[in-house]
Amino acid sequence: MSKLRVNVKASPIIGAALGAILLSASAVGIGQAADLPEGFAKGDLAPAPPADMIEAGKRVYFTKCVWCHGVDGAGDGPGADRLWPRPRNFNQGTFKIRHTASGELPLFNYNEKTPDSGKNDLFDTVTHGLPGSAMPPWEGILTEEQRIQVLSFVTTQLVKDRKFTDKQSETQTILQLGTIKPAEATEDSIKKGAQLIVDKKCIECHGVEGRGDGNAFNLKDDWGFSIQPANWHKCWNFRGSRQDPYNVRNIFRTFSTGVNGTPMPSFADSTSVEERWNIANFVNSLCEKDEEGKPLGIDPLTDKPKINFVVPSAPVEGEISSDPENEMWKKQGRRYVAMGGQITHKPRNFVNRIDDIWVKSLYNEKSVVYLIQWDDRTKSIAEGKLPWAPTQVNVENFGVKEQAPKTGEEGSIAAAQNNYAVYNDAIAFQFPIKWQEIPAPFKPRYLFGDAKFNADILKWEADGSLRSFKGTGWDQDFEERDDFEEKVKLLKSEWKNGQWTVMISRPLKGSKDDYDDYTRFDIGKYIPMVFFAWDGHNGDAGRKMAVSAFYYTILQPPIPQEVYIYPAVIAVGVVFLEGWMLTRRANKKKGKVL
Amino acid sequence: MKALMSVGALIGVLGLLMLIGMIFGVVPSNTVRLVEGYMPMQVLSELAVFVAGFTGLSYLANSMGMAIPRFWQGVLFWSFVQTYLKFRIYPPIPFSVRAMYGVVSFVAVFMWVSANEEDWKKFRQPILNVLDANTGFHKALRTLYLILLPILIGGFSFLTMKPSVDEPIELRTVHPAPPASTKVHGKTYTLQTSQNPYRVNLEGKYDQAYSNKLIVEQGMGRLMAPNANPWDDKAEGYLKYVREGGEIFFQNCHFCHGDNLNGRGLHAFAFNPIPANFTDPGTIAQLQETFIFWRVAKGGIGLPNEGFPWASVMPPWEQHLTTDEIWKVILFEYWHTGYYPRTWD
Repeated sequence: MSKLRVNVKASPIIGAALGAILLSASAVGIGQAADLPEGFAKGDLAPAPPADMIEAGKRVYFTKCVWCHGVDGAGDGPGADRLWPRPRNFNQGTFKIRHTASGELPLFNYNEKTPDSGKNDLFDTVTHGLPGSAMPPWEGILTEEQRIQVLSFVTTQLVKDRKFTDKQSETQTILQLGTIKPAEATEDSIKKGAQLIVDKKCIECHGVEGRGDGNAFNLKDDWGFSIQPANWHKCWNFRGSRQDPYNVRNIFRTFSTGVNGTPMPSFADSTSVEERWNIANFVNSLCEKDEEGKPLGIDPLTDKPKINFVVPSAPVEGEISSDPENEMWKKQGRRYVAMGGQITHKPRNFVNRIDDIWVKSLYNEKSVVYLIQWDDRTKSIAEGKLPWAPTQVNVENFGVKEQAPKTGEEGSIAAAQNNYAVYNDAIAFQFPIKWQEIPAPFKPRYLFGDAKFNADILKWEADGSLRSFKGTGWDQDFEERDDFEEKVKLLKSEWKNGQWTVMISRPLKGSKDDYDDYTRFDIGKYIPMVFFAWDGHNGDAGRKMAVSAFYYTILQPPIPQEVYIYPAVIAVGVVFLEGWMLTRRANKKKGKVL
Repeated sequence: MKALMSVGALIGVLGLLMLIGMIFGVVPSNTVRLVEGYMPMQVLSELAVFVAGFTGLSYLANSMGMAIPRFWQGVLFWSFVQTYLKFRIYPPIPFSVRAMYGVVSFVAVFMWVSANEEDWKKFRQPILNVLDANTGFHKALRTLYLILLPILIGGFSFLTMKPSVDEPIELRTVHPAPPASTKVHGKTYTLQTSQNPYRVNLEGKYDQAYSNKLIVEQGMGRLMAPNANPWDDKAEGYLKYVREGGEIFFQNCHFCHGDNLNGRGLHAFAFNPIPANFTDPGTIAQLQETFIFWRVAKGGIGLPNEGFPWASVMPPWEQHLTTDEIWKVILFEYWHTGYYPRTWD
């Protein structure tokens, strides 16, 4: 069947990075105390919170937090095993997002209640949550007071191996983010940053294009759980983004302090402040932008890019290019399609690794072409032949199973992450068959249609196959449609630096102009469309996959002539109306009656 | 009086500055947060504050001899309401609804300016001036209107006629009428008479009054009632079942409905219709426990057509959970949100 991946014990990257820090520890920043890295200053430990605050925090903790973080704060609550990343284990006092130097405890001061002051790391984490993980922002749910209370409880009762107030063992070396002036994101700065991420070996984990695809499967956190480098193109998923993803300061902070408990080291000792700004500017410049190069609109309710449910297809004359860099493709706007785990039917996909895809579309007189691009850290192609037929939907008997609800850490998703059988990466989309006959708003069910309304499914797999299926229900095996497969075309499929680019062409209509067996595309009509994506290294196969909501694709008609004529007629009409009105008033003033 | 009006004016200016700041992104848009569930009241009171502010402003302007003509007062107020609706409220209101509010506020402003003969004269004077007056300024203005109006109206009709690719609007019924009974795992439950077998007092009898005393407290944070910790080792009966329900919730449901049951789970952003927000007073607080049982057991695929069964990703939980587990999850949802299930009488 398929090969299991072998865990590599200690990553050479961590070693190299630590070595780099040790070597450069002697380098002294300009204008700083001799033993401090540039941009940092010594701080005092915060006072211990009062006992009544801790007691009040316990009540908050056991209402809201215990479900994931567990009774003893060991990150082993009932929800933990089906989560990846796993909930934080508080016991060791290891926290990711901080202003303090690598290895130190984060800032927490029960007196400091201003959000984003830079003086209360844990408070900001609870306030803004950790985007890209299950930790939600608690602002608007818990009051500031309640957030401080629960942190008082966590830092004193659940952090067991260290003590926030112990002057003997703890120090605070604080990044002076508030007073350091950011370097402007000039072309020069970004260019230097692009060179620095090579020199500083960032690309070894984060990949050549920063999609987190370097060494993606050998990294582990302090507890031995699989962990993956950040994808710089999705800044809204940065844990430390503080719900302000395009703010370069967050990247500067993470880069200066490192991420405790993970292989991400602090670069405070090995880089100057200026170099760190250059890197931060470069990383920030990679985050996805809109057509005009502006940051994407972020939906404040979800902290993800705003969604438009229409995928427009623009008309072009003649052949459609298979090169995404061609002018006709560059001119056409792309759409963000949000993807969630398929959690409706077994086997459910609790850890969804493809959380969005980007779609463009063009059409000519014969066919419509979809250009789909998505980030996937690993190129996955199953070794050997898969044990099930391509039409088979129910693959639970072949080892594609969902996670048991309670497994203990040994069997948790995070622990299993390196050990899934590798299947094919894949992408698919479905349209309703004979949508012309289905009264709005009815649609074939989003998951492969249903018995009454069938779905026209086109699926590409990383082994190079492009197949056309008829779907008649979520638990019904597909019917393969060979006669249509001859007509669909794979124009391009390429995995490069953590990104798949797949271009699929399909005819607008059949030769007989009927639409018995596949979707006929009529210009100017909204046709419901659903996307599916599989990550082979995540063990995705069958229904274990990512799925989108209903989107609409529409072949944009060329603008009809009336659109230009009628407004002109209306404008002329208005001129006449004005003339009539003014004449009337002028006559009235003169005392004439018409 | 003057002092009072000055305070009003101050509030008005501050409010306006804040609104303008939010529109241009100078002031973070969450400075004054609209809290879910309280939003209508918040919006109303904000508008009331603005009106008080404007009264003060107008009074001050009057006393300084710089009175704003009635005509411009009306126009400004109307555009203020439109600006407020467009930029302050989130999620955004669709244009059609804003247009409706626009008409209503237009009528209101019209009634205000035409309340008596004198006001009405003052209001229409500037309009008549543009039409009739022969001063240089008014002539220029008249010519400007003559040119601009056709261009604007023509342009507007061009934009409306141009084919756009806005998503089609489809109206979905969120809480469709339930069936009389539902069959789950081979057993038929009549919705009117079934009861949650875990909503029991310490004697093991169905007792909603007992469980109501142990749910979390309403108000910010919705924290557990003192001495009612389901995680207490000694917790038994109802509270123990709440904990068991919570364990199931956090192994199955929070992915969409969220850690705080507000419909903002990890996967929620991708789905449409969006997952239900149980903390909203319009969802489980308005429904009977057996209605929830039916919806949980049958899921999205079990909805009647007006609920768009084809689009909902809500799992039919009978495929994943036992009947007992479903009842416990429901028990937990009411406990955690601090709501009482609605009763049939």
